[in-house]
Amino acid sequence: MLVVVCLLGGLLGASLVRFSPGYGVDELELDFRLSRASVEAIRNSRHLNDGLLSYYGHYLVGAVHGDLGSSQWLQRPISSLIKERFPVTARSVLTGVSEAWFVALALAIAGVFFRGLYIDISTTLITGVFIALPAAVVAIFAVYLRAPVSGAIAVVIFPKLFRYLRNLLNHAYSQPYILAARARGISPAKILLRHILPLASPALFALLGVSLAVAFGAAIPIEALCDSPGVGQLAWQAALNRDLPLIMNLTLLVTLITVAANMLANIAQERAL
Amino acid sequence: MNARKLRVISAAVLCAIFFVGLFAGAVSPYPYAKQFRERPNATPSSLHLLGTDSLGRDLFARLIYGTRVSLLLAPAAALLATLLAGIFGGFAGLAGGWSEKLILAATDLSMALPLLFVLLALRALLPLNISPILSVTITFTMLGLLGWPSSLRVVWAATKNLRNSDFLLLARATGCSRWRVIVRHLLPNLRPVLFAQFWISIPVFVLTEATLSMLGLGVIEPLPSWGNLLRGLEDISAVSANPWRLTPLVLLILVVICFQFILPSQEEIA
Repeated sequence: MLVVVCLLGGLLGASLVRFSPGYGVDELELDFRLSRASVEAIRNSRHLNDGLLSYYGHYLVGAVHGDLGSSQWLQRPISSLIKERFPVTARSVLTGVSEAWFVALALAIAGVFFRGLYIDISTTLITGVFIALPAAVVAIFAVYLRAPVSGAIAVVIFPKLFRYLRNLLNHAYSQPYILAARARGISPAKILLRHILPLASPALFALLGVSLAVAFGAAIPIEALCDSPGVGQLAWQAALNRDLPLIMNLTLLVTLITVAANMLANIAQERAL
Repeated sequence: MNARKLRVISAAVLCAIFFVGLFAGAVSPYPYAKQFRERPNATPSSLHLLGTDSLGRDLFARLIYGTRVSLLLAPAAALLATLLAGIFGGFAGLAGGWSEKLILAATDLSMALPLLFVLLALRALLPLNISPILSVTITFTMLGLLGWPSSLRVVWAATKNLRNSDFLLLARATGCSRWRVIVRHLLPNLRPVLFAQFWISIPVFVLTEATLSMLGLGVIEPLPSWGNLLRGLEDISAVSANPWRLTPLVLLILVVICFQFILPSQEEIA
């Protein structure tokens, strides 16, 4: 599955790059000292005249050897750019996702067990406002408040996460066997750990994968506006400079990570059952 | 009862905002691009209800015209996305077999792609220096063309359920033609699902447009949209000098919250 997604995604990316307006235009070719034959030789050496499949083939062979091509805008190998930038994003995304999960899970559990109107209304209001904030606005507020990038990412994914978690836990809590367990006087902590979480675990694992994908998406505006040198910012700059090979590779990278996360979630889910 | 009242209020608020946007030309005191060069960064006054921006353009006029762009085109994009989801999801649910597998696989693939990355990549494919009108069209068409996968899954599941239902079996057994089954039996039952997907998509598109435009990859100046107007927040000194600059953000939050309230809840859809 992972391999198929990569190959298909890569083919899609390659065909977009290959057939985009302005593909293969190089300032070097405008140099009038070069003869037509040398221009042709340059084009051939870069496989610019190749068809789509052979272009994609060259890309794949390169990718296997760790060569993802080079960025048109920065004139640097893409693999070294990713190596430099990716750890920054990975760190803020992982921190942000774990912060959001911690807060959302704690609040959702509190909401289920201490069923108070007050908690319910206040959390609904807060998440309602948070969900209505575009990621870029969150980023601007993060700049105002000098908050870290991971905090901004957490704020973007927290409301969606919380709503889903609350519905999930509420649904699990309203099952008849939970009522039976409560009637027998089993402690809330035990009900949560032994009866609710196992029932909800498949959905929780699936949600983990999705939240990672959302976090990477949110990283683009947040890193761009907070000036954090990660892949999100790189993707934004690549889009502004129409650097297609770079943005295609970044999209593929993030897709690969989210698909891998989803697969891991599936495997963990099967193990848990 | 309470939820019902809330829904009516939200619908009324949305309608009011929508109509102000629709008749922007009549409501707005000035054209959106008119510069008052002698009054840049003005604070609110009777001349400029919300003040002016750094280029001396009336913020109230820009807000109204921006509302028109965002609130008219986001539903259009949502319609496109729902239409795509309805056609392909319905087809997958009805046809079954390998075409169903193919469509679902494509949907899963698209859902795995992070939307914003794909939007950026697509936007990078197209030329950047285009006219403002074209930029609006491109932005919302992209949203419509890319926003269908999650809706498709829902439509597909609903169609699949209906296909296996008893009343469709009866309809087929009594010799209903295929088109009659689709038009008279399937579509009326799918309508609430499609409506829900349509309403859910609108705030998502409004928010995505805002983020794209704030990054300079959505609607291009001088045409205003909510995302464009929110760009003004980047300048903290201007915002602290004139807090009314936060109005587009407040309006955006209000609209998205209203959309959340008028959405039918999960239990009502099922």
